[in-house]
Amino acid sequence: MKTLRLTSADIKIQYKYGFYLLYSFFTLFYVFILNIMPASWQKTTAVIMIYSDPAAMGLFFMGAIVLLEKSQMILNSLAVSPIKISQYINAKVLSLGLIGTIVGVIIALSAQSNNIITVIIAVFLSSVVFSLIGLIVAFKASSLNQFVIATVPFELILTAPPVITLFGYDNPWLILLPGVAAIKLLSGSYTNPFLLILIQLFWITVSYFICIKVVKKTFRQLGGCKV
Amino acid sequence: MINVKNLAFSYTKAPFMEDINFNVPKGEIFGFLGPSGAGKSTLQKILTGLILGYRGNAIVNGIEVKNRDNSFYENIGVDFEFPSLYEKLTARQNLKFFGSLYSKQLSDIDSLLNAVGLDRDADKKISEYSKGMKSRLNFIKALLHNPDILFLDEPTSGLDPANARTMKDMILTEKTKGKTIILTTHNMQDATELCDRVAFIVDGKIKVMDSPHSLIMLKGANKIEYSYIENGIKKKSNCLIAETVKDKTLNLLIASGNLRSIHSCEPTLNDIFIEVTGRKLE
Repeated sequence: MKTLRLTSADIKIQYKYGFYLLYSFFTLFYVFILNIMPASWQKTTAVIMIYSDPAAMGLFFMGAIVLLEKSQMILNSLAVSPIKISQYINAKVLSLGLIGTIVGVIIALSAQSNNIITVIIAVFLSSVVFSLIGLIVAFKASSLNQFVIATVPFELILTAPPVITLFGYDNPWLILLPGVAAIKLLSGSYTNPFLLILIQLFWITVSYFICIKVVKKTFRQLGGCKV
Repeated sequence: MINVKNLAFSYTKAPFMEDINFNVPKGEIFGFLGPSGAGKSTLQKILTGLILGYRGNAIVNGIEVKNRDNSFYENIGVDFEFPSLYEKLTARQNLKFFGSLYSKQLSDIDSLLNAVGLDRDADKKISEYSKGMKSRLNFIKALLHNPDILFLDEPTSGLDPANARTMKDMILTEKTKGKTIILTTHNMQDATELCDRVAFIVDGKIKVMDSPHSLIMLKGANKIEYSYIENGIKKKSNCLIAETVKDKTLNLLIASGNLRSIHSCEPTLNDIFIEVTGRKLE
C-alpha cells in the first residue's frame, strides 16, 4: 500500500519536474520518424527506439532524480521517515517503468508490432534493470559529471551486445546478457520467451540486492559515518 | 521518553563522545547547547537513528535506537537545520508528499500553514520561497504526523524576530500538548526561553545539565546594581541582595530619593556557558 502511495507521489513529482512533458515530446518525435520511414525498416527501428529510450530511460532519469533529491536534502527527511528502503526503490522503479512501458507500447503500436504483450513485458523488465543500475550509480555518484562518466561502462554492456545481435551477429552465450534477452523479446525473434524473461528476472534480482545494499549504506552515511 | 546511559561514539579510532547520561521525561523541552563540532548534532543523529554504531544505551520512546525498525519514525518528527524540500513543488504539495510517508492520521495542512503564516503562499513553489519561509515550512513538516517526540535543529535560525516569536510560541504549544522536544541550538536566548533543562556539550561530553533558571541563580543572580548622581557625575555601585540593608550608600539614596536606577544582575546563559566550559558559542 505504502509502495503504491509512494509510486503515485513519485509520478506526480516526475510530472512536476517536467519528465513527462519531455517524454511526450520524444514519443511524438519517434512516432513521426517511424511514420516517414519505409515500412520495411519500421519494425527494427522501433525495436532500437524502444530499447534505447523508454526502456533505458531509468538509467539517466534515475541519475537526475537521485542527484536532485541529494542536492535538496530530501534523502535526510526520507531517512527519518517510516518508509523502507525497498519501498523507496520499488516506487522509483515502478514509476519510471510505467511511463517507459506506455511510451514503448505507443512506439510499438505505431510500427504495427504484432507482439504487444512481449513488448510490454520486455520494456517493463528492461526498464527495471536500467532503473536499478541508474539508482546504484546515482547513489554512488556525488555530481552529475561523475554520474555521466560512471554510467558509460553500463551503457556499453547493456546496449552494444543487443544492437549487434539485432543486426545478425549471433552467439548463444550473449543471450545471458539482460539487453540481448530484452531485444529478442522486443523483436519477437525467440523460440522460448520464458527463458528470456527468466534471464531478465535473474538480472533484476542481482541488481535489486546490490541496489538495496548501496541505498542502505548511503542512508546510513547521512549520519556522517563511513559504514 | 528518552533515556541515555553511558553513551559513547566515535567517527574514527579516537573517542569523540563519551559517558553521556541523561533522561528526558514526557512533555519536557531539553536543549543541547554547545559550539560547532562539540557533538550535539552527533547526539541528535544517534537519537534519531541516523547513527547506529554507538556504545551504551540510547532508548527513545521505549526502543533501543540501534534496534529500531521503520515504525520507530511514526512517532518522531525531525526538523533539520537546512530545508529538506522539493524545490519545484509547492508548500502544499511538499506537505502532502511527506505526509504520504506516514500511516498515522495527519494534522490539517491548512491549519499548520496558517499557524506559521504561510497560508497565502501555500501554492507557491519552494524555489520562490525565502530562507525564513523554507525554515517555517520545514518546521511544520516535522509536525505533520503529530509525533510524540520532536527533534529541532536550530529552529529559529534565519528567521526575523516576529517569525522567530511565532516559531517559539508553536514550540511551547507543542509542549503543552505533551510533546517531548529536543532542541539543538547555539542560541542561548532561545534556550533560556524555551528549555526546561539544558545540557552544555563540549568536546563530546556533557559539562553541565540543569534548568536555565537554576544555572542563572546558581551563578550569581544574587547581586543588585544601582546608579545615582553625585556632584553632577553619574555613578554606579552594587551590593549583594542579602546585604542591601547594610549598604549605607544605597539606604541614603533611597531615603533622599536620589536613586536613578536599580536592577538585579543576572548572568545570561551565554555568560554561564563561557564560565563553565571556557568556550564561546560563536
